[in-house]
Amino acid sequence: MDTSKEGLLKELSRCVLEMEDDTVADVARMYASQGYDPVDGILLGLVDGMNRAATLYDEEEYFIPEMLICSSAMYNGLEVLRPLLPQESEKQPCKIIIGVVQGDTHDIGKNLVKIMLESAGYTLVDLGRDVPADRFVSAVKEENAQVVAMSTLMSTSMDYMRQVIEALTSAGLRSQVKVIVGGAPISPAFAERIGADGYSSSATEAVKLVARLVG
Amino acid sequence: MIVDEAMEAANSFWPEAHCDPQKMAALAKVMRQNGGFENYGVPFCMTVEAEAMGAVVDLGGAHVEPHVTYSPLHSSGEADRLTSIDLTQGRPHCVLEAIRMLKQENDGVPTIGNVTGPVSVAGTLVDMTALLKEMRKSPETCVHLLERITHELIRYARAQIEAGADVLCISEPSGTGEILGARHFQTYALPYINQILDAVEAPVKIVHICGRLHSIYGLLDQIHCDVFSFDAMVQPEEIRPYLGSKAVMGNISTHALGTMQPEWVAALTKTALKNGVDIVSPACGLPVTAPFQNIQAMVQTVQTYKRTGS
Repeated sequence: MDTSKEGLLKELSRCVLEMEDDTVADVARMYASQGYDPVDGILLGLVDGMNRAATLYDEEEYFIPEMLICSSAMYNGLEVLRPLLPQESEKQPCKIIIGVVQGDTHDIGKNLVKIMLESAGYTLVDLGRDVPADRFVSAVKEENAQVVAMSTLMSTSMDYMRQVIEALTSAGLRSQVKVIVGGAPISPAFAERIGADGYSSSATEAVKLVARLVG
Repeated sequence: MIVDEAMEAANSFWPEAHCDPQKMAALAKVMRQNGGFENYGVPFCMTVEAEAMGAVVDLGGAHVEPHVTYSPLHSSGEADRLTSIDLTQGRPHCVLEAIRMLKQENDGVPTIGNVTGPVSVAGTLVDMTALLKEMRKSPETCVHLLERITHELIRYARAQIEAGADVLCISEPSGTGEILGARHFQTYALPYINQILDAVEAPVKIVHICGRLHSIYGLLDQIHCDVFSFDAMVQPEEIRPYLGSKAVMGNISTHALGTMQPEWVAALTKTALKNGVDIVSPACGLPVTAPFQNIQAMVQTVQTYKRTGS
């Protein structure tokens, strides 16, 4: 194996892209044992691979099964490299509350959005699925979050998104958070109608959307 | 597909009506009488099969549909731990009883027996994320799981037809082109949907697949159904050429039916008819808050269109 820094970064990225979720941890350990910078390993290796996977997803070369394995490869690599990060490099990043709204337990889309936002450096608080409106509200309060991200796959659950936004408003929290929504039945027009700040049609777009909203 | 006003009118409410054949049949009937639906359809959720095979279901409430809260399998490799659907008790029995009651009305109204698609059932019996990964990493166990589930769904679907259902409708919210892509759809969704369609003798067979479909347009004609139903984001005129001789069913926005004025629903319905929809229906279920007015607007628009051609 090419044990130069460049060579190992390329290999980390390739492992994520090509879904080698077992091999990736060995490569990450090799990279770490050579004393190379863990931040580079994460950003230029693992996250680079995830971004390339996202491109294939946008091009409909990859679909959800592929993205899920790529992301578990990324997380397996992160598990090795994260403990090596210097403490002071932990900045105070933007906090995002994410969840699938009440009545729905389909959480794959939500998980993909979470993965892509985490790769982009945001801190995610995942409320899971079938989340009632007041859980979103209390999480925003407790975590002092700046963004709320909601999803649903079921058209019959869409209206709960409106209820979450209304609950945030009545709790006096609406102005402190940006609300973004997504999911198969959601449209930009729907997002606007319920008073969300943004809509994205895919996990990769969600990253750009959040960047636009919170700068 | 049930709305609030139907529960009031029938004095039969969710969640009880998911488990009581009389209440279930009463709700289906009132959707026709007061709403204008030209059929009876049961059940009202997509969790009956998974629950009967070992999943834990929260029946929800008056406004929340039943949903699976616990998947019994960690992996598709555990398929043999699934229980067989017992058609003599629980909710499968309730659905069959409701179909019998609706049949006894003997009023010429067709009854639709709804069956959840194999991949969607699989995705609630195994955690969906694990299942999707295993589609790539462990094809043999996924195939075995889907065979096991399909075997059960065939028994359940046949029992529905024997109980008197005139139409079999298989819906796949999870086994879609958008989620799986064409290759996995062809391996894991299409063959098992077809196995059910081939094994069940029903006068009319409908298949509904959610989401965007362009990645699997080329495969749709291979589905052995008479009627193909799809979501609101798919344009009827775009999909029609891929459906061969199948009737085109859909696709009045579920959300519009729930929230918009009846005039808007009527306009959407007219557009759908003009764009080649043969059978008008809500695209992807009905929000429980949808007013009867909107369903009536949809149905009346169809009837006027049939009469006058516009």
